[in-house]
Amino acid sequence: MRKPWFQVVAFQLLLTASASAIGIDITGNPAPQFDLPVFGAEQRHIALTSLRGKVVMLDFWASWCGPCRQSFPLYEQLRSELPAQDFTLLAINLDEVSAGPAAFLEEHPVSYTSLADPEGDVAKAFGLIGMPSAFLIDRDGIVRKRHTGFKPADIESLRSEIRDLITEPHNAP
Amino acid sequence: MHRDVRFLAGLALLALLCGCATTAVQPWERGRLARWDMRWDPDPLQSAMGNHTHFSKEGSSGEIGAAGGGCGCN
Repeated sequence: MRKPWFQVVAFQLLLTASASAIGIDITGNPAPQFDLPVFGAEQRHIALTSLRGKVVMLDFWASWCGPCRQSFPLYEQLRSELPAQDFTLLAINLDEVSAGPAAFLEEHPVSYTSLADPEGDVAKAFGLIGMPSAFLIDRDGIVRKRHTGFKPADIESLRSEIRDLITEPHNAP
Repeated sequence: MHRDVRFLAGLALLALLCGCATTAVQPWERGRLARWDMRWDPDPLQSAMGNHTHFSKEGSSGEIGAAGGGCGCN
């Protein structure tokens, strides 16, 4: 005999499970694709596919995030140390309004590009569980590392992980 | 009839529980929560001054964050 209450409970549990699925660790999987506008120059877009063949570091940040203030100058230094033909650093801003990040970028100027994801769609696809979050994507487009949060000592491990990915053999694009 | 009411009540309860699960604030949605005026104590200096005034006027001490029960004897 079929019990309607059982179906209802199963449906509710499914909904609950889908809600809690946010935050899945995507390390080892192909990076979710995106095509986002450049912050401050919305007519320009950058797609992740255009960076295939390079090691990519994505830094998800927001102007209200305290550790992001520490990370910006250190990421800028890291980017300048590594060869541009092998490595790209992209920041993805998650502020819901653009006034905050504009002031933040004036206060913490960097040479790398920030993209805008005010709806958080890309953040959701990458399964963010904290702010800031950095993802290292290898030359084949696979997510290899996820760093949640930031403290200045983290820059050493990031540097060595990026160097390892740069020197790693890969499939030709 | 009685059974239908129970079924609907159970359904409403489960819907409420599910609602709790789906309204989780995501890490990137905490901009407003991170504002200084959303803090429990947005201005510690101001609140310390307020407490000092309160203790003086009420003849008590230790009302917030210190030993003592407001007897005014410590």
